Order: sequence, then structure tokens, then C-alpha cells
Amino acid sequence: MSQLFSGLSQDFSRLLKDADDYNVIIEVGEGSNMKKFHAHSVILRARSPYFHSALSSEWSRKENGCIVFKQLGVLPSIFRILIKYIYSGTIILDEHQGNDLFEILAAADQFLLYELLEYLQDYII
Amino acid sequence: MSSRKQPKGKIRPPKKPNSADAQFNDNWDRLAQAIREIHKKNASILSFEELYRNAYNMVLHKNGDKLYNGVREVITQHLEEVAVSQVVPAFPLSGASSSQTNPNGAGGANFLKVLKTVWEDHTTCMLMIRDILMYMDRVYAKTANVPLVYDLGLDLFRDTIVRSQNYPIQNHLLEVLLQQIKLERENEIIDRTNVKASIDMLLELTDASTKDTVYATDFENKFLETSSEYYRVEGQMLVGEYDAPEYMKKVDKRLNEEEQRVRHYLSQTTEPKIRNIVEEELISKHLKTVIEMENSGLIPMLRNEKMDDLGRMYKLFGRVVKGHDEMKSAISDYIRELGKAINETVTSNTTAEGGNAASGDKQTGATVAVRWVQEVLDLKDKFDKVQNLALSNDKAFQTSFNEAFEYFINKNSKSPEFISLFIDDNLKKGLKGKTEEEVDSVLDKTITLFRFIGEKDVFERYYKQHLAKRLLLGRSVSDDAERGMIGKLKVECGYQFTTKLEGMFNDMRISSDTMTDFKEYLDKSVLEKPKLDLSVTVLTSTFWPMNLSASPRCNLPPELTKACGTFQNFYLGRHSGRRLTWQSNMGTADIRGSFKARKHELNVSTYQMVILLMFNDKQDGESLSYEQIKGESDIPEADLKRNLQSLACAKYKILVKEPKGKEINPGDQFNFNNDFTAPLQRIKIQTVASKVESEGERKETREKVEEARKHQTEAAIVRIMKDRKTMEHNLLIAEVVKQLQSRFMPNPALIKKRIEALIEREYLERATGDRRVYNYLA
Repeated sequence: MSQLFSGLSQDFSRLLKDADDYNVIIEVGEGSNMKKFHAHSVILRARSPYFHSALSSEWSRKENGCIVFKQLGVLPSIFRILIKYIYSGTIILDEHQGNDLFEILAAADQFLLYELLEYLQDYII
Repeated sequence: MSSRKQPKGKIRPPKKPNSADAQFNDNWDRLAQAIREIHKKNASILSFEELYRNAYNMVLHKNGDKLYNGVREVITQHLEEVAVSQVVPAFPLSGASSSQTNPNGAGGANFLKVLKTVWEDHTTCMLMIRDILMYMDRVYAKTANVPLVYDLGLDLFRDTIVRSQNYPIQNHLLEVLLQQIKLERENEIIDRTNVKASIDMLLELTDASTKDTVYATDFENKFLETSSEYYRVEGQMLVGEYDAPEYMKKVDKRLNEEEQRVRHYLSQTTEPKIRNIVEEELISKHLKTVIEMENSGLIPMLRNEKMDDLGRMYKLFGRVVKGHDEMKSAISDYIRELGKAINETVTSNTTAEGGNAASGDKQTGATVAVRWVQEVLDLKDKFDKVQNLALSNDKAFQTSFNEAFEYFINKNSKSPEFISLFIDDNLKKGLKGKTEEEVDSVLDKTITLFRFIGEKDVFERYYKQHLAKRLLLGRSVSDDAERGMIGKLKVECGYQFTTKLEGMFNDMRISSDTMTDFKEYLDKSVLEKPKLDLSVTVLTSTFWPMNLSASPRCNLPPELTKACGTFQNFYLGRHSGRRLTWQSNMGTADIRGSFKARKHELNVSTYQMVILLMFNDKQDGESLSYEQIKGESDIPEADLKRNLQSLACAKYKILVKEPKGKEINPGDQFNFNNDFTAPLQRIKIQTVASKVESEGERKETREKVEEARKHQTEAAIVRIMKDRKTMEHNLLIAEVVKQLQSRFMPNPALIKKRIEALIEREYLERATGDRRVYNYLA
């Protein structure tokens, strides 16, 4: 089996950036720090067990046909890195020093992103 | 998820600033409250993100066990409450087993319905609780080696509701389920959805100690026990009330119902178990009773060719160990019985006929044989049909049927003769207007009977006799048909069996060529031509069944003797070293007779010709006595009587006998019947037709067969000993039997006698050390 991932990854990154046909608005952070992310529930649910439940019909609420989900306890800057990883499977760590790295690690654990979590643990050691 | 491994890393995310127990209590209160809201179906007011984060924080701060135990407590409390407020009030009023006050089991049905709701609520809630406690499941439950929260919920449901220590929920549930099934077995309509829900619930719950499902530990055995009892009673009732076909239909229906039941609302693992119970109680226990049911059991089904019922019995009884064996032996016994009856009618017929055998009613004998074979063939057809339509061509049944046929066919010592006569009847010219294909198919069937014959050598002897008559009297329907039949026999028994039969055919062919040459020879020669047309068939004495070594006594008319001489000279001139003997007992002659009314051409046997020609010298009205004819013709007495009978006592009375009567006796007087009339110009005086042998002839044939067997047995012994040189007695006997059994079943005593005869003639000797061992003497 040939694995041709790079094109897939690029196309999914663009999907996140362009937010084409998005159906989820994630509000990350509180007050003036709050930042909105436009995303697609199918992708989030497929990639993270956390979002799989959070965006299920039992738990999610819609406003104007769009799921609005408030996410506290995570900084928007950290969430941006996570959601980029969720969509494209890529992460660039050189840019993130010290404390940031631990923040990413903690969030990956909270959202049950095992692949990333394992990678980060290896990276830090 | 399987592709994503749980990180086992030593590095955990950093702890958030610890705000101690107050923080924990606050988090837990919110979670406990949320679970209660979920139970109240108020989940829509809850925030997943917040609850998840609370649980996440608790686990992160090493409070996983407190959280886990707290959750257990909240769920247990809730279930206790459900038991009291919902389940217990739904208990069937009068006790589940009393169907009199509660004929449709409505109370029970309602109970199941409540339980279904309770169970569905529980599982729905547990799914939501599992969602918000996902982090606890993934991080805490795994490391603490405790069940995941959903499984915890199942265990709590099992212990608090299904096997409640406080309320008799378990008893009620089992009783209601069994009662519902009983109602359905008695043709009530039950709500299968509710039953299925409870069964599914029991299937989803696990027994802690056996690790098996609660269905298996609590329900299944009880279900099987009650079913066993139910069908035990039903089986006894049904055999008493219904005939065999009805009984089997009921059983079929029951089996089907139970299978459907399992498919609809029980576990597939129960299927073989309940099937075994029904099979045991309704089939195994009543096998014999059903087979032997008067007027409706196996034999009546066979008698009336109830193929559907037979097929049903075959399928049904095949489910249990002894089923087919019982059927097989019953059918075999029946075949033997029918066979015995066929044999008996034939024996009684032949005995009755024995009285007037001397009167020469020649057709009856053959008719008996043909009828016997036809009846056996019909019987064979019948059971082939049964085999084909009802028994799926089961090989084991076929074998057992064949044994039964073999048994009764060989019980009739005349079967080889009868079968040969039957073939004779079909291969004779112009009979019954059958097409060649029809005859061929009849003969194919006959071959199947031939296979059953133990004494094939006896058959061969008769076949040769019958074939000889067909060939010599020109009565064979066609060479192709004859050869076809010989071909079939060859396939069955090998070329050895048929070489002589083929030799007979060759004689016929060569004779016809010889006659052409003879005519040419006469045309060219200067010799005086015979005053009559002579047609000669030259038979090789070893191929033909008759004793051809000497000419039978008979004084032929001089014209004929002369013609014979001419042929003899011609023939011996071409084939030196051969010897011809004239078989006057087998020929036919065409002669012209002048009667008062008109002239007729008479086709008669050689003997009849000799007799008739005697009257040429006599005046009208002058008679000849039996003794005179006998003396002058020198025809053997038995033949003479038969031929006189044909001339004076049969359809065409060319001679008139004094006194009248069917029998020929010494002292009888014969006159030429000048007043004879017949519509046809050409008349065939019936010659002796194939017939069942008389006792005397039979004895003679038997003796010939015995004699032939002696030779064959000796030949086999010598053949084997020549090859082995030395051999132990029993092994030799076994080998001889093996070599001969395709022709007949040699009796060990006979073999022993032959061995002794061979020792006497010094082909063999007994070994010096061991009397049981023989040596071959070259």
C-alpha cells in the first residue's frame, strides 16, 4: 500500500483555514481573550473521542443550524495548534518553547489525542 | 481506537495549582448533581464541556478513586429507587404462574414492559455518564484495574435490579418469561418485543463468578428444564391422539416454532439445546410407536405411496441417532415380506400347475415366470421411487433395500430361470408391440435383478438354453437386441461369462454364409439336386447347451437322409477333421398337406414332419397306433408325446386321436384329419415354447450345474495353488470363494471335497509337518 499523505494533509489544512461549509463554532477562552474557531464536526468527531461525544446530538446545541461549543480552560493560541494538528496531522514544535510545550501536552491529554501525546512525550525527553 | 495506544509515559501534564479539597467537593457536587439530572432526563440543561472538565480535573488531581466510588454510589441509589418505585409495583398480581386469573399473561407482559423501559433508561443514562466520565475511563479505570463506568453500570443494574437482594425481581422475571413462552407454545399471541428486551438485557449482563451471561446462568437451564417437561407431556399426548402423518406434522411444526423462537428472541447458543430436547422428547422417545402405528405408520405409508409423509419421516427421523436405522430395518422387513408373498404366489401357481403339467400347458409356465419377474420389477420400481422421492437417494437405505431384494430373490430357487425366461419373453419376435427402446429399458431393469442373483452360473445355463431356442427357431426379435443384452451381461460379469453366448451367434452367422455357398455348390455341381430345400445350421458343440455329441434316434425319410448326405459331403470337403451329428429334435420343416377343402402349407417340427409323412402311405381312414408310430419313427418317447399332442390335441388338429383327450397314452389310435379346415393357407403348428422346466428337467439342470461347479472349483484351486505353491487350508478356501463368488457362492464343504479329489489325483499334497497346509505338485 502506498501512503500518499502530504497532499491530504495540505488539503485538510486549507479546509480549516477556509472554513468551507463549516458547521461548528468553537469559542475558546473567556472575555476579551475569547477566540472563535470555525470547524467541521465530522472531522473533529472522527479525530478526537472528546469531540466525538462533545459534538454528539445528545450533548451539542445548535444556533442557526450551527453547533456552538464553548471550550474553557485552554488558551486560544494552544487550541490553534491542536486544531491544526487535528485537521492536518502536522505540528511544528520549534516555534513553541518551554511552557507552551507543556500547555500543548496538557491539552492533548485532555482531548484524548493519544498520538500527539505520545509524540510530545518522546519529543520532550 | 485500537490503533492509538494509551500513552504509558512517565511525564504527565503539569498539575494545575492545587486548590485542595474545596475544589474537589465543588467539582464532585456539580458532577453528582449532573448525574441526577441525567437520570431525570434533564441532560439538556447540562454543559458537556464543563462536566468533562470537572471530571478531568478530579482525575488529574489524583481523586479518581473518590470520583469512581462517588459515581457508583449515585447510580446505586438511583437504581434502588427505580426498583421500589417502578419495578416492584409492576409485579404481576396473582403470581406469574397462575394463568387462570390472568389468562393472557397480561400482568406478566406489563411487568416485562416496565422492565424494558427501566433497562432502556438505564443504558441511555449510562451512555451519557460514560461520555462525561470519558477521561476517568481512559486514565483512571485502566490504571486502577476497575471496570469502565458503563460496565460498572451493568454490574450495578444486575445486582440492584435483576438479582436484587431486597425484592423478588429475579423470580418474577424468570417466571414471567417462562410463562410467556408457554403461552406462545399454546398458540397465544404474546408481545415478543418485551420478551426479547428482557432476554437481550440478560444477555448483556455478565455473571461475576462464571464470566458467562446472566442469560446462561439464570435463565437458560430453567428454560430447558421446563421445555423438556412440556414436550415430554406433549409427546405422550400426541402419540395417543394423532396418526403418524399428523404426528410428524406436529413435530415438524414444533421444531420449526422452537427454531423461530430462538431466532426471534432467544440466544443462538440455545438453539442446539432446545432442538435436542424436542428431538429427544418428540422423536427419539416415540420412534417405534410412530413407525408401527396401525393404518398410518411406515408400512401403510409405503403401501399407499405417501411420498410426502415418507419424506417428512426421513427428514425428521434423520435428526436422531437411531431414526434412520429403525426406518431402514422396518422397510427392509417389509420388502422381504412382500418378496415372500410374490414367491409364494408363484410357488402355489406352479404347484397347482404341476397337476396338469403332463398335459403340456406350455404357456402357463412361462407366464408364471414372467409374472414373477414383473412383480419383482414393480416392487423394485416402487422402492426406487421411494428412494428417489422420499429418501433423497440415501446410499445406506439403498444398500439395505438391495440386501432385502437379494434375500428374497435368492429364496426363490427358480429365480435364475425366471429371469432368463423373462428376458426370453422380451427378446422374442413380435411380442406385445413394444418398441426397441421400451424393450431395452425393461432389459436394463432386469439386469438390476440379475445382480441380486447369487447363482449366476445357473442363470447362464438357462440363458444359453433360451437363447439357443430363440436362435434355432428363428424367434429372436433382432440380432441387435440380442447383442445388446449380451453386452449388458458382459458389463456385469466379464467376457468369460459371455464368450459361449457370442460363439452361438457366430455359429448362426457362419451357417448362413455356409448355406449361400452350399446353394452355389449345388448349382455348379453335376450331382442330382435334392428334391427338397435343405437349410442347415452348424453348431459348435461346446458353445451350445444341448448335448450334441450324438444324433438322437429318429428315422428320417429317405429323401431327407439323402439331402443330408449331400450337405455332409459338401461341408466335410471344406472342413476336414470335423464331425457332424444331425439334431433332428431341433429342426423345422415346411410341408404341404392336401385336405378335402383345400391345400395348406404346414410349418412343423422335424419330428412332426416324420410323423405326418407316415400317413402318406396310408389309405383314407386307416389309422396308426401310438406303438406303430413309435416303432417306425424311433422318436424318443417324451418328444413323441409332445409332438403328437401338438398335432392332435392343440389348436390345429391335423390328426384325429381315438379316444379323444388331452393326454397321449399307449394304445391311442391316430387318423389323418381329412376334414381339417383353417382360414389361413399357411399354418404354423406351435412348437414347444420356452417354459418352466418340469421337476425332472430341473433336477437334470441342477446336476449339470453341480457338475460344472465341481470343475470350476477344481480349476480355481489349481490356479491358486499353481501361483502360491503352498497354502494353508482356510486361506485357500477364502481365496477360492473370492474367485468364484461372482458366479455362485461355493460351499466350503464342496471346496474341501474338491481339494481331496485333487490330492487323490496328485495335483496337491498335504505338507508333511502340518496337515492343514497344501503343496502344489507340478
